[in-house]
Amino acid sequence: MGFEKFLFYVFALITLWAAGMVITRKNPVHSVLFLVLAFVSSAALWLLLEAEFLGIVLVLVYVGAVMVLFLFVIMMLDIDIATLRAGFIRYLPIGILITAVMAVEIFLIVGPSNFGLEAFPAPEPAAADASNAADLGRVLYTLYLYPVEIAAVILLVAIVAAIRLTLRRRPETKFVDPSRQVRVKKGPRRIRLVKMAAEVAVPAAVSSAQPGVEENS
Amino acid sequence: MHFDAANLIPILPEITLLITASLVLMVDLYLKEHEKGLNHTLTLIGIAIAIVLTGAVGGGEPQVFFDGNLIRDDISDLLKGAILIVSLLAFVYVRAWLQDRGMLVGEFYVLGLFAILGMLIMVSANSFLPLYLGLELQALSLYALVAFDRDSKKGAEAAMKYFVLGALGSGMLLYGVSMIYGATGSIEFAPVAQAVAEQGMSNKVLVFGIAFLVIGIGFKFGAVPFHMWVPDIYEGAPTPSVLILGSAPKIAAFALAIRMLVDGLGSLHPDWHQMLVILAVLSMGLGNLVAIAQSNIKRMLAYSTISHVGFIFLGLLAGSEQGYASAMFYSIVYAVMAAGAFGILLILSREGFDAERLEDLKGLNDRDAWYAAMMALVMFSMAGVPPTVGFMAKLLVLEAVVRVDMVWLALVAVFFSIIGAFYYLRVVKFIYFDKPADDAPLLVTTGGVRVAMSINGLVLLALGVFPAALLTLCQDAFA
Amino acid sequence: MIDNYLPILIFILVGILVGVGPLVIGYLLGPRRPDSEKDSPYECGFEAFETARLKFDVRYYLVAILFIVFDLEIAFLFPWALVLQELGIYAFWAMVVFLGILVVGFIYEWKKGALEWE
Repeated sequence: MGFEKFLFYVFALITLWAAGMVITRKNPVHSVLFLVLAFVSSAALWLLLEAEFLGIVLVLVYVGAVMVLFLFVIMMLDIDIATLRAGFIRYLPIGILITAVMAVEIFLIVGPSNFGLEAFPAPEPAAADASNAADLGRVLYTLYLYPVEIAAVILLVAIVAAIRLTLRRRPETKFVDPSRQVRVKKGPRRIRLVKMAAEVAVPAAVSSAQPGVEENS
Repeated sequence: MHFDAANLIPILPEITLLITASLVLMVDLYLKEHEKGLNHTLTLIGIAIAIVLTGAVGGGEPQVFFDGNLIRDDISDLLKGAILIVSLLAFVYVRAWLQDRGMLVGEFYVLGLFAILGMLIMVSANSFLPLYLGLELQALSLYALVAFDRDSKKGAEAAMKYFVLGALGSGMLLYGVSMIYGATGSIEFAPVAQAVAEQGMSNKVLVFGIAFLVIGIGFKFGAVPFHMWVPDIYEGAPTPSVLILGSAPKIAAFALAIRMLVDGLGSLHPDWHQMLVILAVLSMGLGNLVAIAQSNIKRMLAYSTISHVGFIFLGLLAGSEQGYASAMFYSIVYAVMAAGAFGILLILSREGFDAERLEDLKGLNDRDAWYAAMMALVMFSMAGVPPTVGFMAKLLVLEAVVRVDMVWLALVAVFFSIIGAFYYLRVVKFIYFDKPADDAPLLVTTGGVRVAMSINGLVLLALGVFPAALLTLCQDAFA
Repeated sequence: MIDNYLPILIFILVGILVGVGPLVIGYLLGPRRPDSEKDSPYECGFEAFETARLKFDVRYYLVAILFIVFDLEIAFLFPWALVLQELGIYAFWAMVVFLGILVVGFIYEWKKGALEWE
């Protein structure tokens, strides 16, 4: 127990420190990187709670995908850091006040008196071959089938909304379509011969009338 | 493990909506520009089928499905029907606006349908989890609808505000749910209610959780002091989106409150009662007072929403069956009124012009007497002038409050609604006693808009004269 | 069960040590004589043309968010695959519905051209 407790405090401290850095760094990219650290150490906390699957999903989905998205978004925005920080000091007192009230309340409620070991005794440690993911699957697809299907619909909405809001056709961009390239066959349709009237040479007087144009371009 | 197919029967309306949305999404990909009207037709057919199915599977004793995740009772039947009917009206109104602006695309209908689906899921949830998922489904679709006009800066700003504050509200709600789970050991309403009844007020964790739940509900309803998003979103979002997010979601928000506070935490009524009193008084006061100063009609209607939310809370906080029934009646009636008001704004808009200022309503009577009459009906109903249903709704709520010996609250409500009557009647004055702007054309509408608006307006009058039709349904749901 | 993860913890510690060690040693032992010219940003001998903060195209965002959606879908597939034998045909159809809903979205994004890079 002793070593586990030690690990818990180490990871909890890392999480808290990283979370603090997220909101105090000036550079948003640094904030995102500290958020990654916070996620990784909370994933470790979940491992300590024997919720390995959730811990791994946290790393896979949040660190692997969501934080990359965050980085894209931050790089997409033209953030002027100075204006971003402008209101910081002005709103700091009220922010601290609200945070303090919330923190005290939460500390009083979510303390040992209500959530201590008397109210919630520590569960038996899982066996060495217990599979957290299988346990999860057993309830997800029986008890919580209905919410799981709703989750699929939410993901579908995310797809539709993201495409509708960000996808724009760009007819002006030039690009090569490989599938059309490979489909090219030799034959009469490859080259088209067009009949047209012969060009008539432009009289030399026209081009000599505007010598300045040529020089400028 | 086997699956009981009977579980699928109560969610037939939801399945219909899901299939309709998927169908519209697929069909839209293959439609040419001039065939996009098919999206509209498919959507209306889908909602109509869902309404029929709601009636077909409804009725009878309350039953629980999907291992306690879903409930079918009189509340869910009635609220589902109301949400679907109001949404049907809303979808009829939006077509011309979308077509004029080249936005008659499948996505609008798909997102709208998913928002309705989310509301239906909320209404019939029997546990915190589907309730929250339904709420998120609805909210996500609505965020996208607010930003639907991609080239509008105001729309994007409104969507951003809506998203950030909506996410904050959801976060509060979830934190409250986690506290209640910690105190009761369940997320299903019936076991929660049982555990709460045993522990009562002694458990501080529960009280703490309820505070967060009420904050979350306040955010979703847009009650003062959690109302900041409402005016900006109503003003910035495209009017069809406001129509969809300003009408039926109020019914769903009512369901959210009823399911959590009454089904789950009913025996802690003395606790949340106090919080709702504060929200109700502030909402009625601020909503009605600030609405007077608005010159933008969408903003005015936003503040009017806030004040109506105060009234819905009045019914809820009474804590009696009569109170819940009156709040239910009020929220359904409000959704119908809001659909009518925003419907008229859509009718007034035309290519390159959006009716947004109060002045745009000037001389509506000279431009189209019938629509003017319908708008006047909606405004009278919102103000609570007899014989419209708005009066009945207010009366029922006040009666419920007086019955539980809170006469002072009833007096406050009456005082503020008298103040509120001013700005609704000002709109009526604009419609009938002012000259229209010189460039205002006659109103031309197609596609059943006139029929829908007539039904919308006349229902307000008919229910005002014969409120029993809807009222008995509401009362039976809580009997 | 936690004991199973001890090798991983040791692995991570060694990894951090190997990664951080050289940096710390270099920082401590290497000579550092910074001046303003050395510390200023440079671009192949030029003065820097513009700020390093380039704006990304919104298309990266779209690709990333579509990736997340399907990443999450995979997260649902893992527990399902583990219990499929146990729950049988019932869990199979549960996942068919789940995937069916997402396939609708996939067809939509494919046909819409969201996966193409113009």
